[in-house]
Amino acid sequence: MGVVQLDAYVLIMRGKDCLTFIDGLSTNKVTSTCTTVFTNSAAKIIDMVDVIDGDGYVALIGHNPYKNDIVQHISTRILNQDISISDASSNNSVYLSTSDIDVPDSVTKCSTFRGMLLVAPKNQPIDITMTEADFSEYRVENMIPHQGFEITPKHHPLACGLGHLVHEAKGCYIGQEILARMRSRGRQGRKLVKLPNPVKDATTIGSTHSLAIVRSDVVK
Amino acid sequence: MDCNTCDTAPTIVINKPEVVEVTLTITQKAKEMLENAFGDDRSHGLLVGVLSGGCSGYMYDLQIVESTEQDCQELDIDGFKVLVPKASSHLLDGIEIDYVDRMMGGGFKINNPNAASSCGCGESFS
Repeated sequence: MGVVQLDAYVLIMRGKDCLTFIDGLSTNKVTSTCTTVFTNSAAKIIDMVDVIDGDGYVALIGHNPYKNDIVQHISTRILNQDISISDASSNNSVYLSTSDIDVPDSVTKCSTFRGMLLVAPKNQPIDITMTEADFSEYRVENMIPHQGFEITPKHHPLACGLGHLVHEAKGCYIGQEILARMRSRGRQGRKLVKLPNPVKDATTIGSTHSLAIVRSDVVK
Repeated sequence: MDCNTCDTAPTIVINKPEVVEVTLTITQKAKEMLENAFGDDRSHGLLVGVLSGGCSGYMYDLQIVESTEQDCQELDIDGFKVLVPKASSHLLDGIEIDYVDRMMGGGFKINNPNAASSCGCGESFS
């Protein structure tokens, strides 16, 4: 469908302990480039981040309004690990493309469940070919949750369609006990659904269908 | 991503908590177990540290070490050399190292007055 620009932050982490550190604090198994979710002790989302394992750095791409919360969450937990963090948000623009497109070498491209994530230097912008409405339509069609809509601090990852980012066999992380209990008991409370319009309390409205997070026992 | 610009991106200051002079205690049962572990050789030390991660955000790290690259405070507790990394001293001041003798879930336990909560297994705290 095209390319949309995301309201995203770009944090650059350096040091040999970066991936281990992120792995110990988030829901997915982080050993290289992937997407993961930072949760609090109530298993509520702090932010979903795309982790890019670059050459000598690890980039965390997340939702700009949640940047301060994520920085606070991770920086207080750095004790004696070899980790430094810098904020490259103002130097780069972040885009999402619904298909694989050719980009200059200076653009970092990474495949995610939402589409191709593109991180471009600010002075080399990528053409935006999709409106916000088109992006919403794409997300509704493919049931893709997005920060600020479905992915919010009010929900846990299982409720907003991020169950595939919650690794079942990795070690402990903050919020893990709650998510593991929900899964093992088959009780996740709410779940992301796509329903034909009109949809009460829709989180994303499409032309014919909408996304909503509803109680699991309401919709099978 | 242009990593030339990344290199010049503003660094996020990680506020390192103040290093505190740690005091800690070891219960009689834990001392007995440490004596079994160390034997007569007291050249090694007990490293009592904290790692990031775990169900509650921080995890205890107990090791018997000959030396460590971490910058540590060295304490002498009843003849045992105890090493506490300065970076996690604020989380460990006032702790009691205990030993719980149980078939399941037994072993060294740390009672920490700084912990607001801890997970079921006792290895992780916040």
